[in-house]
Amino acid sequence: MSEKAAREGLPSGLRRAYLEALVPAAAAAPIPLYFTQGSSGKALALYEAALLVLWWRARMGRPVRLPNLVLNLSGLAYFVWLGFEVAVLRDGLLRSVTHLLLFTALAKLASLKTAGEGRTALLVLFLLSLAATSSSTHVSSLLYFAVMALLAFRALVRLAVLADFEEAPPVRILAQVPTLAVSAAGIAGAALLCVPFFYGLPRLKGPYAITRFRLDDSLSTTLTADRVDLESFGAAKRSDQVVLRLTADAADWKRVVRLREAVFTEYRDGVWTRRPSSRRGGFAVPPDRPPRDGREPVRIDLNLFAKGFLFLPYGVETLHMPADRAAFPLADGLLQASPGRRTVTYEVGLGRPAAARGIGRSAIDPSAVPREIRDYAAALIGGEKDPVRVYRAIQDDLRRKFVYTLDPPAPHGDPLVDFLLRSRAGHCEYFASAAAMMLASRGIPARLVTGSYGGEVGLFSHSIVVRGGNLHAWVEADLDGTGFAVLDPTPPAGVPPATVTGSMLRRLASLGREIEFFYDRRILGFEALDQQRLFEDARERLGGIAGAASGWRTSWGEAAPLAGRVFLALAFAAAAAILARELWRRRRPVPPATRAYLALRGLLARRSGFLSAATPPAEVARRVAETIPSGAADAAEVVSVYCASAFGGREVSDETARDLTDRVRRLKKLA
Amino acid sequence: MTRLIPDWEIRITNFGLGYILMCLIVAVAATNTGNNGLYLVLAGMLAAMTVSGVLSRRNVRGVACEIEPIGEIVATRHALLRVRLENRLRTGTAQALFFLHEGLPGPLWIDPLKPGEKREVVVEGLFPRRGVVRVPDAGLLSRFPIGLFRKYRRAGLSREIVVFPVPESSPVPDAPPEDSRGGRPHVSRRGSGFDIRTLRDFAPGDDPRDMHWKQSARMRRWIVREREAERDRAVVLTVDNAVPDPKDPAALEELEHVISRCAAQAIVLLARGGEVGFQARGQFVFPHHGRPQRARLLEALARLEAIPQEDAPAFPPLRRGDHRVVVS
Repeated sequence: MSEKAAREGLPSGLRRAYLEALVPAAAAAPIPLYFTQGSSGKALALYEAALLVLWWRARMGRPVRLPNLVLNLSGLAYFVWLGFEVAVLRDGLLRSVTHLLLFTALAKLASLKTAGEGRTALLVLFLLSLAATSSSTHVSSLLYFAVMALLAFRALVRLAVLADFEEAPPVRILAQVPTLAVSAAGIAGAALLCVPFFYGLPRLKGPYAITRFRLDDSLSTTLTADRVDLESFGAAKRSDQVVLRLTADAADWKRVVRLREAVFTEYRDGVWTRRPSSRRGGFAVPPDRPPRDGREPVRIDLNLFAKGFLFLPYGVETLHMPADRAAFPLADGLLQASPGRRTVTYEVGLGRPAAARGIGRSAIDPSAVPREIRDYAAALIGGEKDPVRVYRAIQDDLRRKFVYTLDPPAPHGDPLVDFLLRSRAGHCEYFASAAAMMLASRGIPARLVTGSYGGEVGLFSHSIVVRGGNLHAWVEADLDGTGFAVLDPTPPAGVPPATVTGSMLRRLASLGREIEFFYDRRILGFEALDQQRLFEDARERLGGIAGAASGWRTSWGEAAPLAGRVFLALAFAAAAAILARELWRRRRPVPPATRAYLALRGLLARRSGFLSAATPPAEVARRVAETIPSGAADAAEVVSVYCASAFGGREVSDETARDLTDRVRRLKKLA
Repeated sequence: MTRLIPDWEIRITNFGLGYILMCLIVAVAATNTGNNGLYLVLAGMLAAMTVSGVLSRRNVRGVACEIEPIGEIVATRHALLRVRLENRLRTGTAQALFFLHEGLPGPLWIDPLKPGEKREVVVEGLFPRRGVVRVPDAGLLSRFPIGLFRKYRRAGLSREIVVFPVPESSPVPDAPPEDSRGGRPHVSRRGSGFDIRTLRDFAPGDDPRDMHWKQSARMRRWIVREREAERDRAVVLTVDNAVPDPKDPAALEELEHVISRCAAQAIVLLARGGEVGFQARGQFVFPHHGRPQRARLLEALARLEAIPQEDAPAFPPLRRGDHRVVVS
């Protein structure tokens, strides 16, 4: 580059090319910051608008290049603004840093003077996308990764090409690279390679050391299980968060549609709690027993929240926890996972199909039922003593007079009393709470149970994804002295849909949710213990393969003679096939004129009986003319083209080749 | 001239070094925080580096490049070169390729080559000095795909390239004077030289001095000697390529000048229709005329190398009638 060019920086056309390569990636890089509040919306809008101007000016052939004076002044001005932002606005360090990165990226792009500054701009964009990546834990980050991979690949390829140009390249050049196929292959290959790198890189710390816990508070509070708030349950049901994934035989789906998590027996002012004495007690399910033979266990991947209560189907007989986790039995058949990772995978074995019965004997103390509820029950039921009829009366009343809604009106006083006497609108926990309290007020052992109902069947697996919307509450009551039966007083509109096995379209729609669960469980939540287990599994599999191989060696002694012959034959056949393929690949193609001449010689040899290899082409033509007088012209033409091609170096066109073929065919017919 | 052509196959770029540094920084950050987002970025960066290596290798190695000179090539003068490119990959377009050559002002962009595509490009090359080029200073360069490395593949040659010396202006020796009794015999023409071509019967017009009296007496009829024609005397340009120290740049520079002057003299003499030969220590090109002789002489000059004086062989003996002109 000349001194003048060096002083003036990149030529205008080259700067335009750099900008066109960089701006798309620059525009996409900070987008997640808007959703994670990592940057203010105004700053982002300003940044995108400025990029639009840069891009538009570049497309018009007049790329922006800020003079050094303007650049220095704006840098100083921003420095002052940064101090103001940090000291007065107090937006937070992340915001200040991302705003600084946005400003730096813009400043660099607007003042490209050398190719090196293009690379610096790229570095700033990388830091920007790093900030965007590390501030987000949402599954849409995967989409962001994919988009950024595509844009970054295109930008990097184009910058690599531009690095060898000192003047503006023709527009067509940047349009030619990278080709779509190479982009797709490169990104797909990198994505595939990402998997072993991601899972193989050593983990030394837990993944939640600094990442924001993304659960909304309502879900976390609801699933605390020692305490459940009537008012927050609706918000939890609105959450789209994946709670668990359940894998079971399709035959067992009906039995695992309802998962029990927690049992509540104490109610006070809209809050259900567990009785302190019930925190330890009898438990019918022996934990840590391997699943029963002959039947596929139900496998549950649970995102643990707060206290870590396990979701269990009714009729569970066995439980198998991972080696690094334990399950503590509590009263009423509840299990609590030992503290540790946020996710846990466990397997349960189901017993014989039978009517669902809740474990445990704890129930609501009838004396603790509020007076208003007791009076309402008395008015509703009258003198009826039969527990089944009592429940039917309660259920009919709730279904006829009450409305299901996730947004009940704000209560005045006790929310449950307000629900029964005034608002008559609520979600499943209101219905279940009211029914349980009314049953208890009539002396029938009853309790509130929370858990989940239904789910969505995965696209590629027999797994059911349970989300916040599937959280549910119901009643367990002992109506006939045979144990706590499941009673669901919620109107059908309020019961989450049972397991959906519907159309392919619906299953396709659930794919995103599966990806989200996978992202939560296997990517965001992947940590050292997972990695250890992964390696152990791999080692076990390798051990299995080695064992199988050694077994094969033992049996090999017996079958060696026959197998050896077969193997040798196959090896020879493979070698011959490879050799033939190579020879075929390396064969020298016979030019069409030579092929036609050889056919002519073959024809003459067949007619005359013998043709010396030393017979020259002109003699061949002459003898063909003697043998087949009407084909003299054709033979002369074939020989003429052959001589021109073989000795004169003339290329034979496709048309001539076809003509030669026709002539040879005609000669054969004449012969 | 700045050496444009790299002699390496692969070299990391500044961007590549920066990329590796960023990988290290992200690795430290990921390990230190346990943030799986950073692990994902790091895995992506490592995977991109690996894929980049594979794509880059395929891209450059899959393309065959062969160059062939068009016409004569004279040192320091622009010459045309035919570059044959062939993408030998069955799948995958070879792209982001540049052709490098000393004579080009900069890297020459090659449009993407589709699988199996062959293409010929004519470029103007420049060879800085005379000699024989067996390994060309030309090849394909690519930073594809993302510019972490520069990969280079040297071009092949269909045949060796002989770079003729650039003619340097110098006084051209005069052709030797016509001398019917001093030249070399002509193999196919009658004339009046020294050598007897054959004996034949006398014919009217024959020079009586050519009568072969003894044979006439023996044959009892008039027999004359028929003589061969003789050519003009040929010029043999002589260059002394023996130098005291073949590594001495000054001596070599002087020899180059002598060779250039010799080339100029040979071209002028041949253009005048004369017969010109060439002689150096251990080398001899028989005198001849015409365009093929020009090529022979220039090629001999192109291949001439300095040899140490103590080992230098003597000049080959001249034939009768050759006129030696020592070029200095």
